[in-house]
Amino acid sequence: MKKITELIKEKRVYFDGGTGTLLQEMGLPAGQSPELWNLTQPDKIISLHNMYFDAGANIVKTNTFGVNRVKFDNYKELITAGIECAKTAAGGRENAYVAYDLGPTGQLLKPLGQLDFEDAVSIFADNIRVAAECGADLILIETMNDSYETKAAVLAAKENCDLPVFVTNVYDATGKLMTGADPAAMIAMLEGLRVDAVGMNCSLGPDAMLGIIDQFRKYSSLPVIVNPNAGLPEMRDGKTVYNVGAEEFSDYMVKLAQGGADILGGCCGTTPEFIRQIVEKTADLPYKLPEKKDYTCVSSYTHAVFVGDDPILIGERINPTGKPKLKEALRSGDLNYILSEAIRQTDAGCHILDVNVGLPEINETEMMKDCIAGIQSVSDLPLQIDSTKPETLEAAMRMYNGKPLVNSVNGTEESMNSVLPLAAKYGGGIIALTINEKGIPDTAKGRAEVAKLIIDRAAQYGIDKKEIIVDPLALTISSNPESARVTLEAVRLIRALGVKTSLGISNISFGLPKRELITSTFYANALQSGLNCAIMNPFSEAMMNVYYAYRALNMLDSGCTDYIGYASAAAGETAAKPAAARTEETLHAAIVKGLKDIAAAKTEDIIKDSAPLEIINEHIIPALNEIGTAFEQKKAYLPQLLMSADAASAAFEVVKKNIPAGENDKSKAIVLATVKGDIHDIGKNIVKVLMESYGFTVYDLGRDVSPERIRDCALEHGCRLVGLSALMTTTVPAMEETIKLLNETDRSIKVIVGGAVLNQEYADMIGADHYGPDAMDSVRYAEAFYSKEK
Amino acid sequence: MRNQDIMLITADGKDVEINRNELAQRLGTARGYSNELIESCRERLEKIITYKCAYIRIPINRPGENIIDLGYMQVESRQLYNNMNGCQEAFAMALTSGIAVDRELARLRVLSRAEYFITDALASAAIDSFADYACEIMQNGASCAPRFSPGYGDFSLSLQKPFLERLDASGLLGITLDSGFLMTPMKSITALMGIRK
Repeated sequence: MKKITELIKEKRVYFDGGTGTLLQEMGLPAGQSPELWNLTQPDKIISLHNMYFDAGANIVKTNTFGVNRVKFDNYKELITAGIECAKTAAGGRENAYVAYDLGPTGQLLKPLGQLDFEDAVSIFADNIRVAAECGADLILIETMNDSYETKAAVLAAKENCDLPVFVTNVYDATGKLMTGADPAAMIAMLEGLRVDAVGMNCSLGPDAMLGIIDQFRKYSSLPVIVNPNAGLPEMRDGKTVYNVGAEEFSDYMVKLAQGGADILGGCCGTTPEFIRQIVEKTADLPYKLPEKKDYTCVSSYTHAVFVGDDPILIGERINPTGKPKLKEALRSGDLNYILSEAIRQTDAGCHILDVNVGLPEINETEMMKDCIAGIQSVSDLPLQIDSTKPETLEAAMRMYNGKPLVNSVNGTEESMNSVLPLAAKYGGGIIALTINEKGIPDTAKGRAEVAKLIIDRAAQYGIDKKEIIVDPLALTISSNPESARVTLEAVRLIRALGVKTSLGISNISFGLPKRELITSTFYANALQSGLNCAIMNPFSEAMMNVYYAYRALNMLDSGCTDYIGYASAAAGETAAKPAAARTEETLHAAIVKGLKDIAAAKTEDIIKDSAPLEIINEHIIPALNEIGTAFEQKKAYLPQLLMSADAASAAFEVVKKNIPAGENDKSKAIVLATVKGDIHDIGKNIVKVLMESYGFTVYDLGRDVSPERIRDCALEHGCRLVGLSALMTTTVPAMEETIKLLNETDRSIKVIVGGAVLNQEYADMIGADHYGPDAMDSVRYAEAFYSKEK
Repeated sequence: MRNQDIMLITADGKDVEINRNELAQRLGTARGYSNELIESCRERLEKIITYKCAYIRIPINRPGENIIDLGYMQVESRQLYNNMNGCQEAFAMALTSGIAVDRELARLRVLSRAEYFITDALASAAIDSFADYACEIMQNGASCAPRFSPGYGDFSLSLQKPFLERLDASGLLGITLDSGFLMTPMKSITALMGIRK
């Protein structure tokens, strides 16, 4: 028998339909797992499959949808028996295939849920191995409503068998998966993972699928599967019936086939009669598999980003080079700072975010994984995984939810041999740097030759050139005056090779004054030369000006709508800033009223004439005390208290910029954290800045930190001073738990506690070594601690 | 395969008015209190929220003292037993406000304490308001006992699992359980509502 992937090239093939309705008619009680019948009533399961084959189906789904090792101890037997039933029915028939049917685990993956990605892969892998051993003809991963779980299942299939892999997802009325992905995003990811067919099943009826089949036709290069429900369940005469009958259903399937569906079948509520009518009505329709699409795209768990004429902005802010604050956040493991940079860049209008966490003193792979998981829970943009280490790239590409952009491969043998196989396995757009064994060629032609080399080598791995985005490298004109012209010429030559381009724009002005002027002008030139992607600073007004103006000038912004929106927002902001500073509100009042922007603007204003500590002690703290008292006296509500805390943080951020950091002394270090369950960190942040100005090395773990993480950080850095903060009474037990754990670990670790709800008595009760009523006191204690050490 | 008797109710943010009392209680404010930030959080939440409810109508039996038999599971709970007094049937339901709400909360957690707290309170009040909205549709004028959820009083939270499975809550609503029987999306509800004859 031909492989199913060969047969679908020749003719339209058909899946079977639903099982639930039929099995319940055969006596399966509502609420019982139908898979148990594989062992107890195999003849009924076989007869069900036979009915579908007789009706014209070519592929039957095994009765194994909900089976996995978490739900059934005897999952191996259930799968083996399920496949045996289907094979028995298929035996002796022509073009009859058995699809091992793999459904979701029913658990949501981290970070939103609890199931670890690798655990999900492992659960699916156990199933796949059994299915492959039992002789299934293909793997059908179906009814998946989450892109991440879909990826786990596909990886498990790819890593544990050589069978064709078909995938169908559940799209709801909005045309998206339950966790947000649209068809373009799913197709991008699944094509990258090299499945054999994609599509949709279950969910709504065939009419609703008609609404999204266009997107499959537009984006998919793979055969498209459509297995809808028989409409929606309705209650009629006390019985549930699906509201679309076989006749109507098959009429819709004709339209779906004409609209781009290649492989047809049914899901819940459909019966052999449905399949018989579909086959009858569509067998003679013209049949042609989708043509290969030429999109360059990457995706997140919600959407795909297409690289084409419209310029793509790749946010460069999560890269420690030249960014001391980020370096510090990486060293101390302060994910919050990194996540807030991700959110700010998302809000600033980036399309993709670069993530580079390479610092010699940290475990880059682990940090990269943490950052990707964290960023993917706060931003829906696709990410550019940026590392020079193949092992870091692999770990990140594997656990990334979507199809990533990978930064980078270059033209050296070592790089091509290590990075291209990863892209072949996990999928991904690839940034290709025009560097070879001899370095960066001086000429544009030389760089284009390296690009050509990488494109050809990628092809040997089955990687299409549409996946390659070449970066011909912008080097600073301050040391290499020809650099800009060579790079721009290289962009033109490389575009002529039929691939897309990217540049790290900011490098061009390194070492020059007023860098933004050079950088943004170069960006305009590069766009004119055909540049597609810019790795850039989205907070640079000059760069964003060029971006919006270029799009307006090149008919990429219909009606100049985006430009006008951008320009009026920018004008509003320029007007608002001085207005905020001019307002009659004092800093004190702005904090009490919870006015974040005004508090920041006011601080900018007064810091010119006041010492930083004076602002903290005479404005910020008294204002916080005032609102705190009002809250205690029930004259203010909790939302107001929190708004004031936000405003105080905004003011404090401004103050912080003006406090010179002392010389960091590694021998004087402190771990700081707001304890688990507590998200109030203004007090801790004040302590941190003061500590730093007194020369301490601060490992700031942020807020809502588990006892274990605090202990691990102290141990990792050999730091024997820990500062804990809590603002809420409810989180003091978490503080106590942390102190207990630290004491158990190493009695010589000393703990300072502070925060609005604490006092000496409370601190003693929970076993703290010191109570710090204010930030300065904590610094004095820390100084004394380390001077005793000496 | 899903059970064939499950019905669905869906709604958008704009369809369901967030109950003012519920909200005030969760924010810790006087009833009707609002400010600009609360209103902007509300607006953002209403844009991303997608309410879904799956429910079934089932007969209930009482095989023993304090035991309610739902056909697919038995619940031993004195409080539920009392709650169901006079009811021969019940609605079993699961409702959610969608995963986008969890994502918005994760984002706000990083950005702003005030917006996080306010949006969390709004979302809690919202799912309760949707439960009222959905129950009104189910009831269709019938008299019902107050909703009663796993985790209330002596109605064990561990019964979430069979409860959600019966409603295909993972497939239809995207509700999943962690090992402590807490639901994701966070703002989800399961409940029984007895139908009085």
